[in-house]
Amino acid sequence: MTSIIINVSKYIILILMALYTLSCFTAFRQDSEKMRDQKLNKQIIYVFLIHFLSYLTFALSNSEEMMGIVIFYGLQIFIATIYMYIYHYIYPYSSRVITNNMNFLLLIGYTMLTRLDFSLAKKQFVIATVSIILVSVIPMIMDKYKNLRNYGIVYGILGILALSSVFVIGVEQYGSVNWIKIFGITIQPSEFVKILFVFFIASMLSKSRDFKQVIITTGFAGVHMGVLVLEKDLGGALIFFVIFICMIYVGTGKVRYLFAFIAGGLAMAGLAFLLFKDRLFDHVMVRVNVWKNPWEDIRGTGYQITQSLFAIGSGGYFGTGLTKGSPEVIPVSESDFIFSAIAEEFGVLFALFLILVCFSCFICFVSIAMKVRNRFYKTMAFGFAICYMFQTFLSIGGVTKFIPSTGVTIPLVSYGGSSVLSSLVMFSIMQGISTIENKEAERIEEEKRNIEENAG
Amino acid sequence: MKKKNETLKKMQGKKGKKGSRELKQKILTPAQQAFLEKEEKIDKINEKLNRPIVGITYISAFLVIGLLVYILHFMIVDKDEVIANAANTRLDNYAADVIRGDIVTQDGETVATNRGDKRYYPHDEMFAHVVGYSEYTKAGIELVGNYYLLESHANIIERGINTLREEKNNGDTIVSTLNYELQKTAYDALGSANGAVVVMEPDTGRILSMVSKPDFNPNDIDDVWKEANSENTNSSVLLNRATQGLYPPGSTFKILTTLAFMRQNPGDFEEYHYNCSSEEQIFNSVTIHCFGRKIHGEEDLSAALANSCNQAYADIGTKLDVDKWKHTLEDFLFNKSLPYTDANATSRFYLDGKSDRGYIPQTAFGQGDTLITPLHNAMIVSTIANGGLMMKPYLIDSIENYKGKRIKKFSPSSYDTLLTTEEVDTLTSYMRKVVTNGTATDYFAGATYEAAGKTGTAEYANGNHDYSWFVGFGSIEEPEVAVSIIIEESDVNGVKAAAVARKLFDAYYSLSER
Repeated sequence: MTSIIINVSKYIILILMALYTLSCFTAFRQDSEKMRDQKLNKQIIYVFLIHFLSYLTFALSNSEEMMGIVIFYGLQIFIATIYMYIYHYIYPYSSRVITNNMNFLLLIGYTMLTRLDFSLAKKQFVIATVSIILVSVIPMIMDKYKNLRNYGIVYGILGILALSSVFVIGVEQYGSVNWIKIFGITIQPSEFVKILFVFFIASMLSKSRDFKQVIITTGFAGVHMGVLVLEKDLGGALIFFVIFICMIYVGTGKVRYLFAFIAGGLAMAGLAFLLFKDRLFDHVMVRVNVWKNPWEDIRGTGYQITQSLFAIGSGGYFGTGLTKGSPEVIPVSESDFIFSAIAEEFGVLFALFLILVCFSCFICFVSIAMKVRNRFYKTMAFGFAICYMFQTFLSIGGVTKFIPSTGVTIPLVSYGGSSVLSSLVMFSIMQGISTIENKEAERIEEEKRNIEENAG
Repeated sequence: MKKKNETLKKMQGKKGKKGSRELKQKILTPAQQAFLEKEEKIDKINEKLNRPIVGITYISAFLVIGLLVYILHFMIVDKDEVIANAANTRLDNYAADVIRGDIVTQDGETVATNRGDKRYYPHDEMFAHVVGYSEYTKAGIELVGNYYLLESHANIIERGINTLREEKNNGDTIVSTLNYELQKTAYDALGSANGAVVVMEPDTGRILSMVSKPDFNPNDIDDVWKEANSENTNSSVLLNRATQGLYPPGSTFKILTTLAFMRQNPGDFEEYHYNCSSEEQIFNSVTIHCFGRKIHGEEDLSAALANSCNQAYADIGTKLDVDKWKHTLEDFLFNKSLPYTDANATSRFYLDGKSDRGYIPQTAFGQGDTLITPLHNAMIVSTIANGGLMMKPYLIDSIENYKGKRIKKFSPSSYDTLLTTEEVDTLTSYMRKVVTNGTATDYFAGATYEAAGKTGTAEYANGNHDYSWFVGFGSIEEPEVAVSIIIEESDVNGVKAAAVARKLFDAYYSLSER
């Protein structure tokens, strides 16, 4: 009986996922406000149904922990519902699309983590819930303090200091020394410095866009990336680099900077490669070789990626159904490789929809960036959009062997406190910008309406 | 995606313009006018600022589409081969829902099926290594085809009903490339001798027969496994000598030494001659004598190969640039893993430019530390037979559902072109001479087909025992079958590899006449 429920619900989940994905894209259409609301409400129903069917499966197939699973399920729904209502009560100008997507990604993350390791799911839930409460003040702060753009250099210096902290109090995890330990909690500074970095570039470029300013900004950015390279966090350095060139291009509007910096970046990478070939880039070469041919060393260096491909392939288009696969075989399937775990049990089609949902999230960020007319917010919003998309791309591209693996997480879905908190900060900042933009737009609309009325 | 951006742009435009255009007709105060103009100006600037954003968004969309297409491509094209990999432990999960499918030969003999809930192999030892076994661990086709055996393409309604009843579905049948008649011929020809046989189609890479002895009865895998893994045994019955057995190549190696010599002396290799005039001769301070202490007299390169003259090859060895020689051998997959899915050992060639030159003479005629698997030797001779193009050997011809409906057909795939036409022609004519006027002549007397090949004898156990080798193909006009045979202790059991080859070629051609 249980296996029939799992089998049937796997197809229903896929249909719901397809509907959710579709609604993510149609939500951009300029419908009437009422239709939009209806669409967004439907989205919530789809998410909750997917979530319900998943937890039904867990409860049925794990009779020992059934009670715990049911309670955990209830708590998630409770928090998600409350959050969605309260948030829009406090921030009527915030974007409901972002709220929905944020909840969706978190809930999918919890679901997969429950499948992989119940205790990790609980931990992630607690961290995310506390984080949500903490970050909910961000839009308010941004709305109140409009002078955030004045502290460009401060963000830059803070960022460099925070990144460098790992040289003093760093601990090694997964082969890179990019974690620090404070009060018994390990955190990854680069996750948070990413945000400071976006602030830094946005405020520098909102001040001035002359050559001198660009050079100063580049200097600071270069130090950021240099520190990351020294920490052997090359995936991180790559993300910073992409954020940097995209923001410089958007901030200055000059395409020659884009090309110059891409060329410069490649030259620097080449130079660094030649200088530190043995010490630093050993594990880069290992990763590139593994990417080129993981089958050569299936039991050694190629283990992770081949297991990931086995998982994705074995699951097939429709997946094995929850609890029916063996995603736990993939190393770090809860974090970097969560996409493969999702693809195995929910199916490749579901996973493809997930990519599209992430992309729609990116488009949503982009549309905010395009709407907001203040240069500082515009550059910043686009910086976060690129940061989000690029990170997702690196993570999913890495585990599917599209590109060499860089060990990056999918924001909000993958397990990891630093990753979840920083992603939530990012989403909240986007809500802040959205709030500012919507308020401004309404003010202008009102002004125009006034003019119209007076004139009439 | 494109639409999306257009919508975004529209949204952008709508906000300011729509209202203002209507308003302009009305009379406004200067302050209001100024406000509207300022708004319009900001909107225009904003549109300009958005241009880079649109550009980068397009690039991002392009990357994401690339990722989606890549994943779909993986699922459609590569998936089956990837997950059929023996290292994929997930396959065992499928076993819970599916009755393991049958394995049949290409000519319709069932070689693995189920009897009750036990796996049953109707031909006992005959297919032991190549078909393999599925309990304890998996091997052979049972291993490489595991995925297909555990997939069911039975009628979808039937499967639906089975799922509802919580009954198992029938797994798919693997049609192997093996030929029952040839397998039987090879198996009987080896008799009680230990060794291995590989028969393959040079132009496709399809393996027609693969035998390894000593063998075991896979129906008694419980006992065999216990015996093979007990502490006080050095039993190696489970080892597939055809793919994992590493043997000194003996004189069959002279084919590749000839090739290396040809490549290093492109203009004048045909002028090479050697006078084998005494029983013993010293090369690089090593004493070399020919097999059976024979004296071959004056020889050119083709005669040296046909006579399998060790002295001539020792002489050739001393003339070779060892690094280039090694390079030629590595092109032919020495020191490299073979493009073959089942477990296989890597053939070894140890010499390079820095090695002691005293090793060179022996190595040149296939003694020394060089090691090769029978499968690898079959691939080398197949490459010559196939005009220089090496094909990847494979064992699974097609997949059928349990009712015999074809689901999937595997097509041959090539590894690389390793020889030029001239090299192929020269080597073929030399190897033909081995059969017409050389060491294999006696074995092929009266054959109705024109075979080419190379015999080999490798000494081991301090020269106390002999390995007997034969690699070859038939016919030289129309190569359609290649063989590689090794017999252990041929000095004791009297079985000669060339004789086994003759039986296989005879069987092959009488089959194809039928």
